[in-house]
Amino acid sequence: MIAPPDSVEGWEPDVAGPADLARVIELAFDYRGDVTVVGRDGSEWFGYLFNRSAAAPDPYVELLDPAGDAPVRVRCADIRTIRFTGRDTAAGKSYAAWLERKAAAKDA
Amino acid sequence: MSVPVAQMWTVATYVLGQRLRGRKRYPLVLMLEPLFRCNLACAGCGKIQYPAHVLKRHLSVEDCLRAVDECGTPMVSIPGGEPLMYPEIGRLVSELVARRKYVYLCTNAILLEEKLDAGLFTPSKYLSFSVHMDGLREEHDEAVCREGVYDDAVDAIREALRRGFRVTTNTTLFEGVDPERVRKFFDTMMDLGVEGMMMSPGYSYSKAPDQDHFLRRKRTHELFRAILDRPKRHWKFNQSPIFLQFLMGKHDFSCTPWGNPTYNMFGWQKPCYLLQEGYAKTFAELMETTEWDRYGHKSGNEKCRDCMVHCGYEPTAVNHTFGSLRGFRDTVVATVTGRP
Repeated sequence: MIAPPDSVEGWEPDVAGPADLARVIELAFDYRGDVTVVGRDGSEWFGYLFNRSAAAPDPYVELLDPAGDAPVRVRCADIRTIRFTGRDTAAGKSYAAWLERKAAAKDA
Repeated sequence: MSVPVAQMWTVATYVLGQRLRGRKRYPLVLMLEPLFRCNLACAGCGKIQYPAHVLKRHLSVEDCLRAVDECGTPMVSIPGGEPLMYPEIGRLVSELVARRKYVYLCTNAILLEEKLDAGLFTPSKYLSFSVHMDGLREEHDEAVCREGVYDDAVDAIREALRRGFRVTTNTTLFEGVDPERVRKFFDTMMDLGVEGMMMSPGYSYSKAPDQDHFLRRKRTHELFRAILDRPKRHWKFNQSPIFLQFLMGKHDFSCTPWGNPTYNMFGWQKPCYLLQEGYAKTFAELMETTEWDRYGHKSGNEKCRDCMVHCGYEPTAVNHTFGSLRGFRDTVVATVTGRP
């Protein structure tokens, strides 16, 4: 099974088989940044991966394309890998940073 | 209890109607998220961490109304994001009121006075501004990570009340909160003149920056007992007294994850308002394809282990009220005595 790094931002996983792909799709679904879905034929879809279904008769992922209105659906069977190309918007310690700023302001 | 009689009647007839039809699972409150954009970045919130192009999007009013019609709940809660940033919030609320839906517009109130001045809303028994207030000035401003928000919200509450609107507050309580300060906060809100207060323990969103301040189950019981064991006569709560009893540890309920279904730009969220495990295209698909037994405190699901949040357990409390004579008696006693 493929092992993701601590932070997947910028990760370009080398998918070896269906189990790896399933894992990468779950990580992409859980990721709060844009990704690039790379097709087996070399085509690419960029956007926010907001949904996936492994239980559907023809499993798929769905993305919101920054330039488009309607979601884009890509068949899992057509996917070679998913690159975590966008910034992780959930990363960081904003609460801790705010507390630090507040403490610093009090000390000043 | 501060829920108006007409609203209680609407909910009671709806629930009894569902039960008479033999529906095992039915929704009670639609959580309608027209956008994720917000003018705050609260530490406990896991709703707004998205790429900019997602935050710029919003549902159309027609999409919202389709969702309302699909699930058919008598109450619609509009959280977000900040719903007052939704460009069509006036039209959306107006359409919902015309459909006789009881609307809770959940807002941080930063933009409320501006929107009232703009004439976007008309007072109605169907519309309540549910203002996010996580405590007195110090606690609230810390929870929302910005100073001055408490004072802005208090000013907005006063103005909305002056104009004849229904105003309630919604409060999320986190680890480390001082029960005596919460009691003072309740006094302050009632003195302001709000119709009633709603509260819930926080949920530890995996995407929220602050992971250290969420309540665990036993501590939740202790905290709510400390807050509510000696309730003051003038405190009014705009929620089920049975849910408050549950928070105090007086009931051992299962979660009703379908009770407050959530609709947003991704679709119908599986399984609940708090967890995001996928999306369905229609409400019927949500109800039919979600494996409901996998969720709730008693399911053993790690993500649900400590959750006691209103969106899963208040529907259970309402079911308890209408599910047995004992449940109905418990509710009547708590309502009449004011003691949860």
